[in-house]
Amino acid sequence: MSINTKIIGRSVPRIDGRDKVTGAAKYTGDIKFPNMLFGKILTSPHAHARIISIDTSAAEALPGVKAVITHKDVPDIKYGISPARWDENIFCIDKVRFVGDKVAAVACTDEETCYKALKLIKVEYEVLPAVLDFRKAMDAGMPQVHDEYPKNINVEIHQEFGDIEKAFKEAHLVRTDAFLGNRAYQSPIEPHSATSLWDGDKLTVYSSTQSPHYFQYYIAREFGMDMGNVRVVKPYVGGGFGGKMEPTGLEFAGAVLAKLTGRPVRMFFDRHEMFAHNRGRHAQYMEITTGVTKDGKILGAHSNFMMDGGAYTSLGIATAYYAGALLPLTYEFDHYKFDLFRLYTNLPACGAQRGHGAPQPKYAFESHLDNVATELGIDPMDIRILNARRPETVTPNDFAIHSCELTQCLTRARIISNWDAKKKEGGMPKGHGIGVSTGSFVSGAGYPIYRTDLPHSAVVIKVNEDGTSATLYTGAPDIGQGSDTVLCQMAAEAMGFHYEKMKIIAADTETCPMDLGAYASRLTLMTGAACKSAGEEIKKSLLEMASSMLHLPPDDLECEDAIIYSKSRDGKALTFQEVARKHFVLKGPLIGKGSYNPPKLGGKFKGSPVGTSPAYSFGVQVGEVKIDEETGEIEAVGFWDVHDCGTVVNPRLLHGQVHGALSMGMGESVWEEVLFDDEGRIKNPDLANYRILTALDMPPVESEIVESYEDIAPWGVKEIGEGSTNPTMGCFSNAIYDAMGVRVYSLPLSYEKVWRALKEKREREHGGKE
Amino acid sequence: MYLPDFDYHSPESLDEALSLLAGLGSGAKVLAGGTDLLHKMKQGDLAPEALVSLKGLDELKGINYVEGRGVVIGALSTQNDILYSEVLAKKYPSVSHAAKKMASNQIRHLGTVGGNIVNAVPSADLPPILIALGATITLASTSGKREMALEDFFVEPASSVIEEGEILTEVAIPDGGFTGSSYHKFGLRRSGALAVVGVAVSARVENGVIQEARIVCASSAPKVIRAPKAEEFITGKTSAPDTLAELQAIVESEVRPRDSIRGSAEYRRNLAGVLAKRALIDAVESGHGIHAED
Repeated sequence: MSINTKIIGRSVPRIDGRDKVTGAAKYTGDIKFPNMLFGKILTSPHAHARIISIDTSAAEALPGVKAVITHKDVPDIKYGISPARWDENIFCIDKVRFVGDKVAAVACTDEETCYKALKLIKVEYEVLPAVLDFRKAMDAGMPQVHDEYPKNINVEIHQEFGDIEKAFKEAHLVRTDAFLGNRAYQSPIEPHSATSLWDGDKLTVYSSTQSPHYFQYYIAREFGMDMGNVRVVKPYVGGGFGGKMEPTGLEFAGAVLAKLTGRPVRMFFDRHEMFAHNRGRHAQYMEITTGVTKDGKILGAHSNFMMDGGAYTSLGIATAYYAGALLPLTYEFDHYKFDLFRLYTNLPACGAQRGHGAPQPKYAFESHLDNVATELGIDPMDIRILNARRPETVTPNDFAIHSCELTQCLTRARIISNWDAKKKEGGMPKGHGIGVSTGSFVSGAGYPIYRTDLPHSAVVIKVNEDGTSATLYTGAPDIGQGSDTVLCQMAAEAMGFHYEKMKIIAADTETCPMDLGAYASRLTLMTGAACKSAGEEIKKSLLEMASSMLHLPPDDLECEDAIIYSKSRDGKALTFQEVARKHFVLKGPLIGKGSYNPPKLGGKFKGSPVGTSPAYSFGVQVGEVKIDEETGEIEAVGFWDVHDCGTVVNPRLLHGQVHGALSMGMGESVWEEVLFDDEGRIKNPDLANYRILTALDMPPVESEIVESYEDIAPWGVKEIGEGSTNPTMGCFSNAIYDAMGVRVYSLPLSYEKVWRALKEKREREHGGKE
Repeated sequence: MYLPDFDYHSPESLDEALSLLAGLGSGAKVLAGGTDLLHKMKQGDLAPEALVSLKGLDELKGINYVEGRGVVIGALSTQNDILYSEVLAKKYPSVSHAAKKMASNQIRHLGTVGGNIVNAVPSADLPPILIALGATITLASTSGKREMALEDFFVEPASSVIEEGEILTEVAIPDGGFTGSSYHKFGLRRSGALAVVGVAVSARVENGVIQEARIVCASSAPKVIRAPKAEEFITGKTSAPDTLAELQAIVESEVRPRDSIRGSAEYRRNLAGVLAKRALIDAVESGHGIHAED
């Protein structure tokens, strides 16, 4: 279905582009207040230890130190994602559970003094044995990370849909493969920071956050305050990718330090502290079994996973459910079994990272599917087309799929990557290989991040008094993905106004209506829906006003490009500006309001809400790699990404998201891994040895979209930001396999692992000949 | 992270710098680009009482061809000075190429050749190609100057024969008998990556026969090392595939890498052999020029 829009579908310039490229944009760490103090958190040097005593006297005596706090100075209310798993304290009370666990904090007149003061806090520890390998965490005799969770089991999931035993019995081939994932870290370029200040009983926190509302909720809860007395403001944010979804401790500690000293306090992480705080990708151990027919049709699948949760739940219960719940999205089969254990270890807690829970299982499933295809002698593209999900279907775990153009994506990717020619004998130069992988993701979570009946998104649009501009007020946080721009496009479209005349005030819990935040790829659909309602309300008011000015019925009037005109009579027209001004004079402020609540979604089993969404994106990536047989070096030669993301609001931003997601996915595929020594200390907490990609490492990328329209969404939109990370790791795995005939069964697919796999293959072949 | 407190001296001539250093003794460190030194100080690994900055010493800058001495590179030349030097582009593009493979553009604007040498890390990118070309260095102190082969400078990681009060002032690549040279670095991404292994090779080739060769390996032992058995093996031979396969195996047997977070000893050993072979092919086939692939 094609839609007639004026602003949606145009690559308008980013509303924040000029500020960002000129350096005028102010991030949280740039904000200064008179008399402001600087604060830092003292963290544990041990992976697991009992706190015997804490002596802060020497730190307090250091000139420039204004306050030192420990668990005694803060509420002891545990927090986390859901009541059953509130397991984190602002500061550790009896035990530290990982190297980096928070023990105390200081506020000083300058940053340098903070570092000196931290060294003067004396903490006596009794070091305990630690759990460092999640695959052994359940074993008898292992230390307990939390006494309340026996065998270190944080989350346990056992779901079965259909009859998996029957499916496997009827299958021509039942195959199992096992894969191991890596711990990856989001590595946003902007470090986390929070600046807290009090005005009487009211606390304001400027924070580098993906969800001002969620922070407001948790800060108010920790301190027993009314939410109305907590204001959270998000300045510009330099990337989040899931790592800035939950309170970091900087907000809690900063609030207490600011209260004690009566001065604003800026708290921040340095790069090492970012790695230690973590909340990045869970490493997962993944066993996938499928039963398929002789032709390659999948009859049923069983996912059997273990996850390294780290020391706390963080957002990990959602990650755990997502890991298995999203797997049946791209391929149709009726029987599905999902088992998972998320385990506590004495390592930094893992949380949500772009694609939340889904990318590693997708790597496992897509690699496994290629193994199945090889065993059956089927082309990897064909087996995917054969099994590809169709529109208006329901997954075995009760997710209703409406729009779905996965087959079209596969067919198109096949053409633009020149798949068939390349797959022929000699179709590519020696050492080259080509792989394909699919992905899908929610366009916003069907249920809120914490239990509440508040709407998921709400906005207000105010047309300014002289009618020359309009301001969108939204709680939605732009963290670099471009939501400020896209939401202004959508608001202007609904109003019949100009994008260029839109202003935005966003992500401030006091001046803006609430929004759950930038996660689960939700803003374009959900906050977009609220923008549409608000814009339409404004248009309705304008047309009513114009109706009395033109003496024509409102039904005969339309507003486009800021002109209100009669549909039946030529020449009868007024400008948006004059009608809006008239409205203000005669009827008061011209305001539009909108809010969004998803429809009731999903099944009735335990865990059924996770993975529900009003709409799902679908995508395909094809990657061509070149392998250096002697060194294992992998060069990404070219990537082709074809997406079904419904109607595209801003093509340039969309393709930017695809490129960005691909770069993150490539990093996790081949280069990135947080490494620990045998005492749980991070070996590479810096950007020299934790290697995110540089611009020079990016291959040429062709990003395309297919025609698609989502009936349930405003203007037919769906997500793009997270879903495009999902196929990448599987795509690399399959391309390497195609190039070399060897499969690497663990992430990252590093040069050395590829070299080793090749060496072992040569030794096998050599041995076979002799 | 913050720098510890220190006294800062900014002499305006080499003589002044040397007198200052002599007076300050062991508590002083020489500051050139600072890309290693300041980082170590911020990490708390070093806390010198005083820094003597060479930034004002124009006499240590410049890359020139000097008749009778060869290409003379001032110790304060940055990695980008080396990368963009017209003299080197003409005489030894292989040296410029080694500089290009270092760090990132921002760091190459600061880091100096002198610092890259004096730091004495086994993964440094410039020493292998300079040693392969037979470079000498000049060390100055209040008691005079001494010149030595760069090859004899390194002792072990972060340790060299430089003495207290000495400043490295220049590096000279003598006009020599080598007809070709090349440096191959294996990093784990295309920018901002330390060498997992780096190998430089120089060769004097007549009628396709290698008359003399140097094979110098970085990140392959506690210091930058030559592979004498491999050098001896290749002398008098051509770069035929079978010969190269043997060469590769000999280099593998000569290096002594350790396990690190960038690669296992076994992997690095393999890389040294592969890179030596590839660098030799370039040195034989492309002179001092840059191989097409790079």
